[in-house]
Amino acid sequence: MSDQPEDAKAGKLRTEEAAEDELEGAEEEQPGAAAHEELVEAATQEMPAVAAVAESPIAQPRVRKIDFVSRRNWYFLFSLLIIIPGIFYMVHSGFRLGIDFAGGTEFTVNFPGKPTQAQVENAVAADIAGGSVISTGNGGYIIRTPPLTPAQQKTFEDQLRTGLGTYDLQQVLEVGGTIAGETIELALLSVVLAAVAILVLLTFRFRNVPGGWRAGFQFGGSALAALLHDVFLLTGVFAILGKGFDLRIGEINSLFVTAVLTVVGFSVHDTIVVFDRIRENLRVSQRLSFEQVVNLSIMQTLVRSIITSFTVVLVLVAILASGGETLKGFALALLIGIVSGTYSSIFNAAPLLVVWRRLQPLR
Amino acid sequence: MQLVLSWPVRLLIVGILLFSLFVDGAGYVYRIANHYSLTGSVPGLPPNFGGWQLYFHKGLDLAGGTHIEYRLTNFPPGQSRATVQQRTITVISKRVNTLGVSEPEIRGAGSNNDRITVDLAGVTADQAQKVIGAVNKLVYTKWVPDAKVTGGPQPGYKPAFTGLTGDDISSAVAAIDQQSVGWVVNISFTSRGADLFGNLTTANVAACPGDPNTTASANCAGRHLTIWLDLTQNDIDNWEDPTYANKVSQEYDTGCLATATPTSICPKKLVDAVTLQAILGGNAVINGGGGGFTQQAANDLATGINAGSLPVDLQVLSVQQVGSTLGAESVKLSIAAGLLGLTIIVIFMIVYYRVPGFLASLALLFYAGAVFAVFKVVPVTLTLAGITGFILSVGMAVDANVLIFERFKEEVRAGRTIPAAVDAAVRRAWPAIRDSNISTLITCTILGFVGPGPVKGFAITLGIGVVFSLISSIVVTHNLLAIVLAGSRFRRPVLMGVDRVRST
Repeated sequence: MSDQPEDAKAGKLRTEEAAEDELEGAEEEQPGAAAHEELVEAATQEMPAVAAVAESPIAQPRVRKIDFVSRRNWYFLFSLLIIIPGIFYMVHSGFRLGIDFAGGTEFTVNFPGKPTQAQVENAVAADIAGGSVISTGNGGYIIRTPPLTPAQQKTFEDQLRTGLGTYDLQQVLEVGGTIAGETIELALLSVVLAAVAILVLLTFRFRNVPGGWRAGFQFGGSALAALLHDVFLLTGVFAILGKGFDLRIGEINSLFVTAVLTVVGFSVHDTIVVFDRIRENLRVSQRLSFEQVVNLSIMQTLVRSIITSFTVVLVLVAILASGGETLKGFALALLIGIVSGTYSSIFNAAPLLVVWRRLQPLR
Repeated sequence: MQLVLSWPVRLLIVGILLFSLFVDGAGYVYRIANHYSLTGSVPGLPPNFGGWQLYFHKGLDLAGGTHIEYRLTNFPPGQSRATVQQRTITVISKRVNTLGVSEPEIRGAGSNNDRITVDLAGVTADQAQKVIGAVNKLVYTKWVPDAKVTGGPQPGYKPAFTGLTGDDISSAVAAIDQQSVGWVVNISFTSRGADLFGNLTTANVAACPGDPNTTASANCAGRHLTIWLDLTQNDIDNWEDPTYANKVSQEYDTGCLATATPTSICPKKLVDAVTLQAILGGNAVINGGGGGFTQQAANDLATGINAGSLPVDLQVLSVQQVGSTLGAESVKLSIAAGLLGLTIIVIFMIVYYRVPGFLASLALLFYAGAVFAVFKVVPVTLTLAGITGFILSVGMAVDANVLIFERFKEEVRAGRTIPAAVDAAVRRAWPAIRDSNISTLITCTILGFVGPGPVKGFAITLGIGVVFSLISSIVVTHNLLAIVLAGSRFRRPVLMGVDRVRST
């Protein structure tokens, strides 16, 4: 660190002292502690729903005070309103399986007119059956559709002819699915294993908050609940889209399985960020009630949560809006999952922690 | 965090950077210089880095591959066609796995269960056909004296054909032995096979009478019966060469057999058994000796015997080079959309966080370069699921930076000087970044080991991505910030994206 100027070094020294003080619970007039002093001030004032600005001699932090925690039952209700119908559809009618899971009919065709892949895709998508299109080069395509009866096959062939001109139908073949059962089973097993591992990890990582291992378990359990919330919400919405509304975008395929796992990763990531702030604030500001600490932590991480989700949502909306037909369901699944992941961290995981603490007080 | 800002760490980062630039660039330079195609495997192009051609290996869904359609003929009588088709698919999967192809798609097809389609990425049609279509022939041999033999399992003896082959077996099934503990493999012969096998075992027992388990002299070479894959007369002729005999006598290797040339020597032994008694009923049991087989070993052996000869004949109906299963247009559009999204993220970071945002974007470039280099060297086969894993790890890298920068703003508001605030921000954001990334890595490990095929690719790219995103967001961004802040003219609030600062 020989290249650092003097005042930077001084700053570093100060921060370390500050950190030590914080660990001992002493709130001296150190710069590090000052940050918390102000926010604590902001949080201890009564919590109106509207914005307020806390005054401070040094700087004026603009911390919006929104009371997240006390309206928790509304948030829980809101989540359940989506999840329960979703679970109902899942149990009652299952999912709409994509071609790669359920199998279907495979047409091998050759168009002398050599239409582009996009043209063929559009013509196929226009038909009720829908399907995927693979180019074999030089006007040749393999088109996979859901299972078709001979009559439906005829209609499909006619519609293709209307859309793209005459073609040479080389072969029609019924194809089975790839191992769907095994894929879903293994995916489910790995989600369960990952959930258990995450519960153990968080219990271990959060054992140092007041309340010890049991408090750690509350953190882990709440994060797990948020994770399950996201998984069930996503799969439920897709069950509703696929079976309830009979939409192609609600099809379950191997990409959807990937989307669910992505959401698992994101959800936990997001929850840990909020929980980490709670962990820190519990240590630093001991005169706040648990509820106030949780609310303060949500406010402090709110900007970050919104920015991060916003950047991911941006990419997904771009794909959803302009991306290819085959990827729309995938992009939609990720979009729902990411929004749900952010929502559940703020509105479910943290409030749930408060509820749990009330039922099982540890301080 | 002091360690992170030390010169050895910086040198390491520069080292990783140079390595990635070399790996990312070397392949392209070589290809341009020699007028080869810029992407994909080039037949005839020599490996140019540690035995590998460097390029992005893309999966079926992104780049397409070879689509082969087989017709199944000569169904064995008396078995359901669906079962036979399923067994054939299992055999083909086993063979395809020896090719090291990631995520092959093998489907049963045809209303009559008489078709199988195979989609493979990254191998030529010739290679694929050779391996899948290879008809490994199961051969039974006895052992006859030959004084000149010094190698192999039975010195002084060489194998001799018995006329019994895989065609004479109707099925091999792993089962729990009724009498002893452990697993065995039950073999059923056809009527011709039953006769041949009966004669063979009778002759074997006559070769040295007694119970081989208790009497050592009864366990003579003449009493051994050995099953091979593809053993030829040429192999037997070369048995007097000990190296040759030893090599062939090893556990069979279908990969070697599939790509064998007339001069190559492949391991071919499937099982070597001592005949306990004459077996006349047309059913034989292979047990694993004293302790029996494990369930796995018995299953493998049964599959091996069944795999040795496909239950049906495979006739190639068509071989086609096919485009991406997601549709080339679709993939292109989505990649363009993804790039647009990433560009907007970079612009947003620079506008919102100013100099730190710009430095974080530089760190992201470093990150992308390093991850791509790893993808090429490993090599990781990129599928859409894999790319999703990569994008998620980009998201986590950006998130780590956002966490630090938001914290930085808070610390500045609380009255720290800019350099002190940077330091505090990194230190305070670290536990959240650490814990969330550890949880992601644990998830990746579980998915990588337990998850189904398509998910493994996701787990691998996400795992690699998370490791490098940690390096990028904590080490690279922090170092760049420290270096930039060493010059006092960068310590202006407007450049750092904060409102006001206590006088430094």
